[in-house]
Amino acid sequence: MKAAAQKPLYPSYDSLWHLTAIGVMDSDGSSTAWEEASGGPRVRVAMIDTSVAVDHLNLVANINRSLALDLCSTRLGAFPYHPKNAKLSGDMGALDTDVAGDLPVTSGLLAEFRARLRPGQPALLGVQPATSPAFSNHGTAIAGLVCGAPAHARVREGATIEGVDNSEQDYEGRRTFPLPYAGVNPFCEVVPISTTFDPDPEVLTLAFLYADMIEADVILLPRDVPDPRRTYPELDLFDVDGVPLGSAVYPNDFPDRDRELWDELATLIVRVSHRRPVVCAGGNAQEEGGIYPARLASIENGIIAVGAANAKGFRSSYSARHVTVFAPSSDGEEFDRVEVRLDELAVDYDASVVPKPNHNERFSHREVISTDVPGPDGYTSSPFADAETTQSLREFNSLYCRFGGTSAASAITAGFLSLAKSTGRLPQDADGIAAKSWLLSTCRPVTLDDEETLYLAWDGKCGMP
Amino acid sequence: MSKQPDLAVLRKKRFVVDVDRMRLVDVARPVTGGGPGAEHEVGPAASGGALATLNRSAASSLNRNRNRNRNLNGGSGKLVEGSNPTGSILAPWRERAELHRLRPLWIDLPVAPPPAPEQLRRDCRELLRKQYRLQQGDQAIRRADILRESELELSGYLRPLRIEGVSGFDETVALFFIVLDLCEEIGMCYKDRFGVARPNQVEPRIRPYLAVPSHNSYPSNHSFQSFSVAFVFSRVLPEHPASVELFRSARRIAENREWAGLHYASDTRCGHDLAKMVLPVLEIVCERQMLASQREWLR
Repeated sequence: MKAAAQKPLYPSYDSLWHLTAIGVMDSDGSSTAWEEASGGPRVRVAMIDTSVAVDHLNLVANINRSLALDLCSTRLGAFPYHPKNAKLSGDMGALDTDVAGDLPVTSGLLAEFRARLRPGQPALLGVQPATSPAFSNHGTAIAGLVCGAPAHARVREGATIEGVDNSEQDYEGRRTFPLPYAGVNPFCEVVPISTTFDPDPEVLTLAFLYADMIEADVILLPRDVPDPRRTYPELDLFDVDGVPLGSAVYPNDFPDRDRELWDELATLIVRVSHRRPVVCAGGNAQEEGGIYPARLASIENGIIAVGAANAKGFRSSYSARHVTVFAPSSDGEEFDRVEVRLDELAVDYDASVVPKPNHNERFSHREVISTDVPGPDGYTSSPFADAETTQSLREFNSLYCRFGGTSAASAITAGFLSLAKSTGRLPQDADGIAAKSWLLSTCRPVTLDDEETLYLAWDGKCGMP
Repeated sequence: MSKQPDLAVLRKKRFVVDVDRMRLVDVARPVTGGGPGAEHEVGPAASGGALATLNRSAASSLNRNRNRNRNLNGGSGKLVEGSNPTGSILAPWRERAELHRLRPLWIDLPVAPPPAPEQLRRDCRELLRKQYRLQQGDQAIRRADILRESELELSGYLRPLRIEGVSGFDETVALFFIVLDLCEEIGMCYKDRFGVARPNQVEPRIRPYLAVPSHNSYPSNHSFQSFSVAFVFSRVLPEHPASVELFRSARRIAENREWAGLHYASDTRCGHDLAKMVLPVLEIVCERQMLASQREWLR
């Protein structure tokens, strides 16, 4: 029997490489950006995604539980972290907006929403929130990249954790150890606005209205918006028997109200972006200009479409092209007529069937590390069947995950913009267009493959070759 | 005023990512520079300890082009008697017991009451239009769908997710059967409460394409059950590129019951709304099965 040839190991890497890559943190852990942000204003990022494991030790200080809104189970939203039977109070802010303006269907919905948000209204409207941490993987990873902050954990009695010694103890003499993880802006707060992928235009309309009502400094949308006519708008350029192809193949009834609300949502997103930057994932299928609504980005609005670049400084193989900016993320393998980019360290890599020349040298195995649902759930499992407590841990690996896609890149970009506001580089009241202009002027021009583009670079520093 | 983060710790300790785990190391040790293009080693791995492995496939699920053809059957098979769309499950006794324990959370959800009879009579006009169109030649596929969807089978859910006939997703198949089973029971409670007559009892010119079930109309259980599958999966794996298509398939299944003359549009709507409201209960009741399903996709 022939012995298998030994392949080199995947090189190890720093879990915070992406912060160094965008110039926010030096490799020794120091950061002038964070020094500037210390004592600055508390900047708010509205995150329209899934729910978050809010008790995660690296997140707990920076998640705004009072304003967190769940739109998964309750049409007009539930406040999942208010005490049982609690009512909304006036100290949550004015919770109003005039952004709907002359949009008729949106205005009607906003009137209902305003009434629901009045002080004295119940936090829950007879329906439980759908925010179980067990099913909060994506939102937890996104939040960590934005606002994660270093923390300390106790070692559970009797447990031995690799790399943890007995030298660090808390005031009660319990063994503790650090959790040295940080997002781009450990000084900001994230307001989770949790959604499902139900293609109901009300959900995302309410999400954007709410993000405006809470006066978010940055809005992060690491997902798409499933508008039937804007997801693949090119389909309607063709027709079948006189019917636009998009309509001909649509499987459902399409009520007039939904049609109007989707149209108004497109306007609403642009309007909101004039007030506050809207950072959107560009897409993970090489979309030209990005998925919807990332592709609405233009010089006339504050929408920022984000693509993914790998750790070697190439566009991630899956990433959308011709977007506003690129930010660090994972990579993927590619084998098609345009590019062959394969992982030569992969167990199933067979050089004898790979054409040459190829772009294998462009592949990077690095992924972005972020926070994960602790314990057996989440992207990373724990070896223990029961959940970790927040008071003391038996291991730390399940608190973190490998993450990627343009979701990760958009979260890093949202954190970057929020850091600009925390440091005062960008006035906190800077509107969406001003924020986007600052971003474009700060980024560093680079060439990713054959594409001239911009890459996040704090103070012009980035680790790009 | 929020507490200032302890950033000094990042100058002392750092997590280093190995192929199968993260290690806590002193920054004084040679940690990588972090800049792109500088993928070098950080020293030998610390010894011992089979700690949790970081899931290398997590990001793969984000790749919309990835062909995730699977040949490995990783499911336990303890519930599913056949990992195909027409399989069946053993009685989900554990989940049913939990559902009954949580009855106060789902028995009186604030769904809209049904339309008044006069509105239902008006809504029958749309059903008559659909009845006529269903007879046309271009609706052959819909007619076949209606017949197939009258049985307990899952192709309408598995096909959008690209796992119809693919092995290794037994837990996901079992989850869908369990959701359908539990929601049938919940839906019956609401049907009984509102007691709405079927369309052909209101409008005699409606000639249902299928035999009319003996229970009431509002809400549509096909709608409620199908949307529940979509909502539950949307929590299991929201980043699945077909999450939205699963909802559209659920809606198609629900609307087909209108085309068959069995339900009003308001029944479909109520089924959707009830599924949305029941989701938090299913998250608790089906947590074990939802996590088992999730592991099939993330491994």
